[in-house]
Amino acid sequence: MTIVYAGLLLGALGLAFGGLLTFAARKFHVQVDERIEQVKECLGGANCGACGYAGCDAFAAAVVAGKAPVNGCAPAGEKGVRRISEIMGQAAPDTEKMVARVLCQGENGVAMERYAYDGYKSCAVAASLAGGPKDCRFACIGLGDCQDKCKFGAITMANGIAQIDPEKCTACGACVKACPRSVISLLPLSQNIIVRCRNSDTARAARAVCMDACIGCGRCKKECQYEAIIVENGFAHIDHEKCTRCGACAKVCPCGCITIE
Amino acid sequence: MQKLTFRRGIHPLHGAHEGKLPTRNMPIEDYVSDSVTLIMSMNIGAPAVPCVKKGDQVKVGQVIGQASGFMSVPVHASISGEVTAVEQIPYLGPAPVMAVSIKNDFSDTWVDDLKPLGNVERVDPKLVIPAIRDAGIVGMGGASFPTHVKLTFREGAYCDTIIVNGAECETHLTADHRLMIENSERIVDGLRAVMRALNVEKGVIAIEDNKPEAIAAMEKAATGREGVRVQPMVTKYPQGGEKQLIEAVTGRQVPSGGLPIDVHVVVLNVGTCAAIADAVIDGKPLISRVTTVTGCVREPKNLRLRIGTIAEDAIGKCGGFSETPGKVFFGGAMTGLCLPNISVPTAKSTNGIVAFNEKESRSKDESPCIRCGRCVAACPIGLNPYQIKVAADAGNFELARKLHVNDCILCGSCAYMCPARRWLTPSFKFAKDKLAAEAKAKAAAAKAEQKGGKAQ
Repeated sequence: MTIVYAGLLLGALGLAFGGLLTFAARKFHVQVDERIEQVKECLGGANCGACGYAGCDAFAAAVVAGKAPVNGCAPAGEKGVRRISEIMGQAAPDTEKMVARVLCQGENGVAMERYAYDGYKSCAVAASLAGGPKDCRFACIGLGDCQDKCKFGAITMANGIAQIDPEKCTACGACVKACPRSVISLLPLSQNIIVRCRNSDTARAARAVCMDACIGCGRCKKECQYEAIIVENGFAHIDHEKCTRCGACAKVCPCGCITIE
Repeated sequence: MQKLTFRRGIHPLHGAHEGKLPTRNMPIEDYVSDSVTLIMSMNIGAPAVPCVKKGDQVKVGQVIGQASGFMSVPVHASISGEVTAVEQIPYLGPAPVMAVSIKNDFSDTWVDDLKPLGNVERVDPKLVIPAIRDAGIVGMGGASFPTHVKLTFREGAYCDTIIVNGAECETHLTADHRLMIENSERIVDGLRAVMRALNVEKGVIAIEDNKPEAIAAMEKAATGREGVRVQPMVTKYPQGGEKQLIEAVTGRQVPSGGLPIDVHVVVLNVGTCAAIADAVIDGKPLISRVTTVTGCVREPKNLRLRIGTIAEDAIGKCGGFSETPGKVFFGGAMTGLCLPNISVPTAKSTNGIVAFNEKESRSKDESPCIRCGRCVAACPIGLNPYQIKVAADAGNFELARKLHVNDCILCGSCAYMCPARRWLTPSFKFAKDKLAAEAKAKAAAAKAEQKGGKAQ
């Protein structure tokens, strides 16, 4: 008999508290925009922070509140931006897919070695020791600070230099911030012709430290029919809007520092 | 006499004893090389500005780099001859530094306008600190802090004890040891000059007990000198750290972020004292220093090198390498700075040139922390190195700052003791550098804002 009383008592208590919770849920309900959840589903989901917000949740809330642009999340990609725009009832802005590129070809053996570094595995630390392990002060140090920061596994280190897989890269920009030498830059994915050197020293000094250094000779500039190339600070720059991706510049470059992907 | 020491610390026995053995009985030899390269940033603070140009003839002791502000000291030609280059050269830091190269004509002619002040007991105390500044003297124990800045106190601060740092706790180095044996009078003279300049009555010369000859020599030199005494110390690392030495000798603790003067003490290295004596008595600027050249070199020696001697020349004077070197560094094994190559010149603070063979210089991979706490027991400051390491490796420098990483003196005791071979000290240095850069950026931003506000 005791077990029946106990069962009844617990059942009654359960019902009472259930009723209380239902009441509380109705009474104190907080209106949440369901679009926040929908937007969140379209994002990269890595909480990379590249958008400038605390994480994906905060960014989604900001988008719905109209404080952040719909294309603010780079990892969301083109598809994600289109869906977020649909949710927000806006026209999808024209976003070109960007990708991080390593603007250096100073592999081991190509860039001169200043000393054999055998210390703490961090580019920033190595860069502060006698100007870094490679003679070129613009070169990729190759100890993988960018790799540590990449949440998408897009960066691998090979032969003393970082390599970025454009398929996996979401252009979040974490590697750009992590690089103490500013060797990594975000470029449009369609821009397959890239000047892979940023050495602003004189031609002679640049060539003395790296076989693949841009010496600022200007042959690419002369070859370009679309005036897309300027030589400034001792190295060539390509204007992505003017460039037609013809590849003529890469063919004449005597240093092999313009590459076609 | 009772031997004093500080709390915690380590005993790098095999390093200290084996490392110091080859040179501890080697008398100081003079060495003048064919050429020198004097870097302009030989002190903490603003670098000197070169005031000679290529082709100029210079004499020994001539100013070739002028001080650029209060936190700066002049640089003097350490040999006579022709200036062959005034250019930027890569040095031990991240950025290249300005340097003046001189080719020796071996005439060793001094400048004519030296201003000797005479006996330290009779010199006008007011003239001592300007003489130290003009002689370009910096802390010669390794930190290269301008000595005249150290001796100029802010309003209200006072000093009651001057400690002469003869601990030389670093492994491999015996330069201070030999200097104390061979130039003991000069060291006491330098100390007396500073004591009179600052009106201080107590001068303590602190020497570790693994240098009994130095203790005997200094005691002999200190006899009959007013207020000067020799204090033997227990041999322990980092006894020669400024804050550790103050704690050991006076029992006072320098507060976090504070300076020795906050506890009314000034610490000077023995080399600095000898340089001060040269500057005051003879009016000679700092142009040479004793440097221990040891490790895998054929004949390890203590050399009195002219400032700016190329490391390669000094090693050549010691018979060259005895085996293939893996690493060459300035300073001892615990706090020394690695050289990118051996064509780097020495500076005023270079107390040693040590070469390690390939086996000695191979670094070991780190393994996970096993929470044994040996680093905590070793840290002379009383920090928790294992916690700071986690914060620094995760890039959480703010947490590292809260754990007082800025009080770390980078002595390497924790890393030396770590059985998991954690790379503790490099990550602390990294965290300290990052925090310093952040603080600098913040200060610059605040200054810019203030300026903007004023303009409106």
